[in-house]
Amino acid sequence: MSDAGPLLQVRDLTAAFGRAGAAAPVVKGISFDVAPGEAVGFVGESGCGKSVTARAILRLAPEGASVTLGGRVAYRGRDLLQLPAREMEQVRGRRIAMVFQDPMASLNPVMTVGQQIDDMLRHHQNLSRRAARRRTVDLLGLVGIRDPASRADDYPHQFSGGMRQRVMIAMAVSCEPDLLIADEPTTALDVTVQAQILRLLLRLRHELGMALMLITHDFGVIAGMVEQVFVMHRGEIVERGAVDAIFRDPQHPYTRALLAAIPRIETARRSS
Amino acid sequence: MNDAAPRPGARGRLLLTIGLVMLAVLVAVMVLGPSLAPYSPSRTTPDSLAGPTAQHWLGTDSIGRDLLSRLIVGGRSTLLITFASVALALCAGLVLGLASGYLGGRVDLVVMRLLDVIFAFPVFLLAIAVVAALGPTVPNLILTIAIVYTPTLARVVRAPVLSVKRWDHVEAARSVGVREFDIATRHVLPLVVSPIIVQTSLTLANTIFTVTALSFLGLGPPPPDPNWGSMLAEARQFMELAPLTVIGPAIAIVFASLTFIVLANGLREALDVGSR
Amino acid sequence: MGAGTMGRMVLLRLALTIPILLGVSVVAFMLMRALPGDFAQAAAGTTSISAEALDTIRRQLGIDRPLWEQYLAWLSGALVGDLGRSFVTKRPVAADLLPRFLVTAQLTAMAGVIAFVLGSATGLASARLRGSADWLVRGLNSLLLAVPNFVVATLIVLLFGLYFPSVGIFNYTPFMQDPLANLTSLLLPALSLGLTVSVTISENTRAAVLEVSSQDYVMVARAKGLPRRAILLHYLVRNALTPVITVAGLQLAALLGGSILIETIFTIPGMGQYLFDSVTTRDYPAIQAIVLVAATVVLLMNVAVDIAYARVDARVSYE
Repeated sequence: MSDAGPLLQVRDLTAAFGRAGAAAPVVKGISFDVAPGEAVGFVGESGCGKSVTARAILRLAPEGASVTLGGRVAYRGRDLLQLPAREMEQVRGRRIAMVFQDPMASLNPVMTVGQQIDDMLRHHQNLSRRAARRRTVDLLGLVGIRDPASRADDYPHQFSGGMRQRVMIAMAVSCEPDLLIADEPTTALDVTVQAQILRLLLRLRHELGMALMLITHDFGVIAGMVEQVFVMHRGEIVERGAVDAIFRDPQHPYTRALLAAIPRIETARRSS
Repeated sequence: MNDAAPRPGARGRLLLTIGLVMLAVLVAVMVLGPSLAPYSPSRTTPDSLAGPTAQHWLGTDSIGRDLLSRLIVGGRSTLLITFASVALALCAGLVLGLASGYLGGRVDLVVMRLLDVIFAFPVFLLAIAVVAALGPTVPNLILTIAIVYTPTLARVVRAPVLSVKRWDHVEAARSVGVREFDIATRHVLPLVVSPIIVQTSLTLANTIFTVTALSFLGLGPPPPDPNWGSMLAEARQFMELAPLTVIGPAIAIVFASLTFIVLANGLREALDVGSR
Repeated sequence: MGAGTMGRMVLLRLALTIPILLGVSVVAFMLMRALPGDFAQAAAGTTSISAEALDTIRRQLGIDRPLWEQYLAWLSGALVGDLGRSFVTKRPVAADLLPRFLVTAQLTAMAGVIAFVLGSATGLASARLRGSADWLVRGLNSLLLAVPNFVVATLIVLLFGLYFPSVGIFNYTPFMQDPLANLTSLLLPALSLGLTVSVTISENTRAAVLEVSSQDYVMVARAKGLPRRAILLHYLVRNALTPVITVAGLQLAALLGGSILIETIFTIPGMGQYLFDSVTTRDYPAIQAIVLVAATVVLLMNVAVDIAYARVDARVSYE
């Protein structure tokens, strides 16, 4: 497959909650590109629309909420927003995978973690039960879970938060996607575990050659992880650029405020 | 939240209106009773097991009595027993639940264990055993059904009382020397009234079932007074000959319990009790 | 939760049930002895009996002794399976009760299965249709809830009597005689018994499915690109089932109570019909025994439900 164009091309993406007519806009027409293998960061405080943007790419809305999407989300030239549901299922998990914020709530409590990776492999790659299990064990080892063969048969509640996020990452990369969207992947974790998870994401990105879209409220997380940064505020991208440039010379006052918040957050965390 | 269905408030009001209209019909039957009936419920005619005619809208029973008249007069007795027993159960439930929840401690322990014992029996089985022991008269029926449904109501009273009694305004009332009895009845009770109303309505529906089921088995008010349950049982015996005689009492029983179910659902949404 | 803590929890739960069981036995005993109506006269089965003969009966039954002594004698008998002698058949009540109890157990089990299948299916449909045809399912549920099981049974009998007289709905066949005929003969009774209970299960299933739908792991399953069917079965239904099963277990009391009516209507020789017959013939020892057994079964079932829930909860809970 040619890597000439961008992997993902988002144009004038809008998202609004509620039914047409009485809808409240959350994302107000944003555009950006992600090149194959590139890592980009989305930074902004909660409610700025960055998570909604991430979910809009995969057309995921919270159950029961109706979200109206507009604009264009082109993956390798195909507009995902226009794709039939069946074909969208082939993109989700296989081409574009996602890691969510809360590893405590992201795993199905009544299935073993192995089963939850197996079912994805078997669905997308038509693996046999046995082959899927071999791959699952490999994946769990890859993300740094010790004794993966026996841990695969454990239930989510038998894992710590950090370990569960590793499982989620193993699941997300199981079909070797082109793009991994990580939505606040470390927010719910202890500080020491946060660094481990970030290192794991960085390593996997290089090993598997996938693009990464890292979403966070914390500029501290972005540094050293991504090349491009998009700063979001009230549903719009207010500043964009190379990560070093933005750290060195932020233009938008909102970006400056976010950057100024980093050390404060760090000290507050250490003291708690 | 983004339901296409009408807003919960509107739906609650609609259900409540329908329920109240149905209740009005029931109350009218209960109050006006005999004066609404076209004939005396005990007047026999030679024309037995007749189908619906201009004279007898619902037909006649095995000894030629007018079924519509019996249905109306029978409704009166069914509903009177229902309302009386639920009123009694509600009083007992209020006293026990309030005392148990408000006083707590040993009172709570003893009352709740006693109610647990009653709760352990299947409702209808206990009702049969008690009626069998006491004998099937109207006062005994009322007493029996009241006993059977007291635990449910007492529990519904007790649970919210337990939390409300710790609220600030209760402490405030106590600190200025309001009598405990007045605190319990004036400051705690009004705040826990919504779930009680809803549960009372549901209990009324269940009681319709229990009253009619007992008389269906022949343990209701003694004959010859008509009653929906016994009418259904009589109709069942002649079902092959006059199948339509079953329909009247069956519909009456369903209508009455549906009234209280609709009311309970409407009240639940209007008062926002345990919404989901 | 380890095996040790689990065992301790079972013991504790059983221990808490013992005082209630004792209370139940007191109620079952007092109902028949302390209330109006002459026990001895009922035992004799006739009112035309001399005072001396009545005294003899009283001495034989031990009802000339203080009430508490009688209770202890009755209770200690009940503990070893001696539930007294029937006034009517003069046989041990336990021997009369056991076969009827098994029939009722089968009927309620079948009704429970029907109620569970019907209720969880409609509840799931209702939750999935929220915002469109949900109101139809819920409306039908409310209507169904308003139709008492004996009315359902009567209407079924009427319907089959009029239109399918060949089906023969009163042909109860014992299981040992012809298992297949036994199952078919209990099908309609079980349906009338289970219909109302299915409404409770349906409403609870609906609430549980809606609750589970909003969980993150369901969205994760969609992000994994799994087909809708797999998400529904493995993520929604499996998680929603746990609370529903416990609710279903608690419906046993309703089924046992309802079996009295259903067995009488369909002439099934179960415990319910036995109770009805005993009430009619004033067979007090039988009534006592049935009341005691039914309440004990309900209590033990509640304990089983609690334990089942704790087991599942231990696996589910994150702590």
